Amino acid sequence: MLEFRTAGFNPYSVKYSPFFDSRLAVASGANFGLVGNGRLFILNLTANGIACEKFFETQDCLFDLAWSEAHENQLLTAGGDGSLKLFDIGVGEFPVAGWQEHQREVFSVHWNLVNKGTFLSSSWDGTVKIWSPEKKESLLTLPVHSCVYSAQFSPHHPDIVTCVSRDSHLRVFDLRSKPSAQNHLTLAIPIHAQPKVAPPGMNRMNGPTECLTHDWNKYRDSVLATAGVDGVIRTFDLRVPSGPVNAMPGHEYAVRKLSWSPHLSDVLLSASYDMTCRVWTDGSNVDKGGEGIGFGRELGRMDRHTEFAMGVDWCLFGAEGWCATCAWDERVLVWDVREHMRGP
Amino acid sequence: MSGSQQRVESISNHFVSSQDQPKAVLHEKNGDQVVITLAVRTPLTKAGKGALKDTPLEDIVTETLKALRNRSNIDPALVEDVCLGNVLHPAASYVARSSVLAAGFPVTTAAYVVSRWCSSGLMSVQAIANQIQVGAIDCGIAIGAESMSTTPDGGAPNFSDKVMKSSEKVRDAAMPMGWTSENVAADFNINREKQDEFAAWSQQKASHAQSEGWTQDEMFSFETTWIDPKTQEQKSIVADRDDGVRSGTTPEVLGKLRAAFPDWAPSTTTGGNASQITDGAAGILLMRRSMAERLGQPILARFIGATAVAIEPRIMGISPTVAIPKLLTKYHLTKDDVDIFEINEAFSSMGVYCLETLGLDRQKLNPRGGAIALGHPLGCTGARQIVTALSELRRTGKKVAVTSMCVGTGMGMAALIISEM
Repeated sequence: MLEFRTAGFNPYSVKYSPFFDSRLAVASGANFGLVGNGRLFILNLTANGIACEKFFETQDCLFDLAWSEAHENQLLTAGGDGSLKLFDIGVGEFPVAGWQEHQREVFSVHWNLVNKGTFLSSSWDGTVKIWSPEKKESLLTLPVHSCVYSAQFSPHHPDIVTCVSRDSHLRVFDLRSKPSAQNHLTLAIPIHAQPKVAPPGMNRMNGPTECLTHDWNKYRDSVLATAGVDGVIRTFDLRVPSGPVNAMPGHEYAVRKLSWSPHLSDVLLSASYDMTCRVWTDGSNVDKGGEGIGFGRELGRMDRHTEFAMGVDWCLFGAEGWCATCAWDERVLVWDVREHMRGP
Repeated sequence: MSGSQQRVESISNHFVSSQDQPKAVLHEKNGDQVVITLAVRTPLTKAGKGALKDTPLEDIVTETLKALRNRSNIDPALVEDVCLGNVLHPAASYVARSSVLAAGFPVTTAAYVVSRWCSSGLMSVQAIANQIQVGAIDCGIAIGAESMSTTPDGGAPNFSDKVMKSSEKVRDAAMPMGWTSENVAADFNINREKQDEFAAWSQQKASHAQSEGWTQDEMFSFETTWIDPKTQEQKSIVADRDDGVRSGTTPEVLGKLRAAFPDWAPSTTTGGNASQITDGAAGILLMRRSMAERLGQPILARFIGATAVAIEPRIMGISPTVAIPKLLTKYHLTKDDVDIFEINEAFSSMGVYCLETLGLDRQKLNPRGGAIALGHPLGCTGARQIVTALSELRRTGKKVAVTSMCVGTGMGMAALIISEM
């Protein structure tokens, strides 16, 4: 396990570069992101551990970041002051571009993985905005009317956008649809609905709670996972949009971040306020000849963080299982998931 | 609250257990919600005497629909459905559709009727809201209306022996409402003094609200025909005032009135401490929030929901004490979250019981008086309470209102409205 200290700053998000297997970036804020500056760390994995290659200072906390899919040295940040900033690692100490439209904290940014020319942001102001790096104004604003903690482009389609929000709904927007009164909204799935596969010992779903994170499965193009304040991870299949397919309780407190494996179609990783990062299978076993449905379960956990775990990301390269996590304990840990899996 | 305080609160909200995700309903806004963009009522006038005594139901409903159409300036073709809450008219379905057409709505605006006694006005709001919520329509109008002058309440019909002899509950359900008031007074020891105090208090609040001009924005006035009872001469007059409000009413004055039901112990109900028999209507324009925003219609409030309960018919008056907790539980709220309770004052006996049993803050209950002062046009009341509550929320800058009423034959309803003014 490798470790890096973000002394004086509490990390909110960690992301591997999509271009280099040894490069990481961390978005963070002073004073737990409540008040004060933000800092964007660019880290390199070296033979002598993790080294900070460069950092950028910002006026307000950084809640998220996204690597550009088009330029290997560029990355985007989500600011507490409502700003988006594009930094270039090769260019000085200031951002090379910036956008200011959101009225409140930006909680997530995501780069379009298919059409690499657009990115999106989601904010406490209840909107998701679609942007182009070439344009000063946003291309499109999708109203959600509820604090949007997480928004993403589908990794399978350039015009499908999803988001989760305080109101316990998973929304799906199809940007190809006509911008009618629905503003491209095609589905709004209640996250707190009864799951298709009721997990053992979980007879009744509780009411709606804030949803803090979600992620698209990298292999199954209609499958997503969500998690939030009630600590339950849920999977969804957009072909059955009435509610969740699976529900996986286990975390004792809110789940802050989820990420599906880039290598295995049924495995995902979570980070929680209970200070653990856990590995799960959703029980689909598609790889092993299963039918895509079954009980999800925890495969193992990493409990070396000593404060709220806030971010997780998988390394895209090399052997399956390497990941990075960050927490309010001012630490970034890089570790191999396989070392923390329990026996069968 | 500063930005950093809000961030702290936001994080601390992430630690709330799922069962009581706190008060989400108070803050949550989304485009699919049902919102009220306009709420108005006619003046409430005494049956048999007041300005509306010779105005048939269809005229009252038509004038209300016209007022909604003119004030909202909405394209009438966008109103897909109109629901009329009414109790007494024998051909209310004809009235509903005819009034819609007479008020200048196109043939494409549909109409229907709902009835659940004194909650019919609220039923109509709930019905339209439900249609919007499930996506059946985007925009509709709820009306509550009653002409107790032209279609008076004749009491329960004579049921077959088979039904009447089947159970004591059936006989209780056919009981005159006044008797149920006496039952409440007897069962729960609510004496005449308490009832008269409650009634005088209602009159004083209503009189104050009237003299301060608070009720002006609830109402629209209109011209109608009135027959002078002395000369039988037809006159054209303007209905522009609630005529049941008596300033200077005191418990002492009310204490001198004779019992209305001398043969039914304890005979504490009088004409002064019960709701008045009255004509009137209220109308509410509802639509999906996304539509209101698109049309630029002002969003007054969101209609969160309503619920009905049923209890022993012989003490039907106490049902708000069942309906209100049921409603609040649904939305994880407590009575302290509510700024205004509009509870229909069918009788002082049930009014006193509800105030004491629910443990309400007196300042929050019927701040503009209730049916004892304003009157209780049966089908109108449920919608009228929402009009009154919205106007009071607007005046005071408060946010949350619960309306509730007891319902004849032993039922009750309650509704939750959250102001966005």
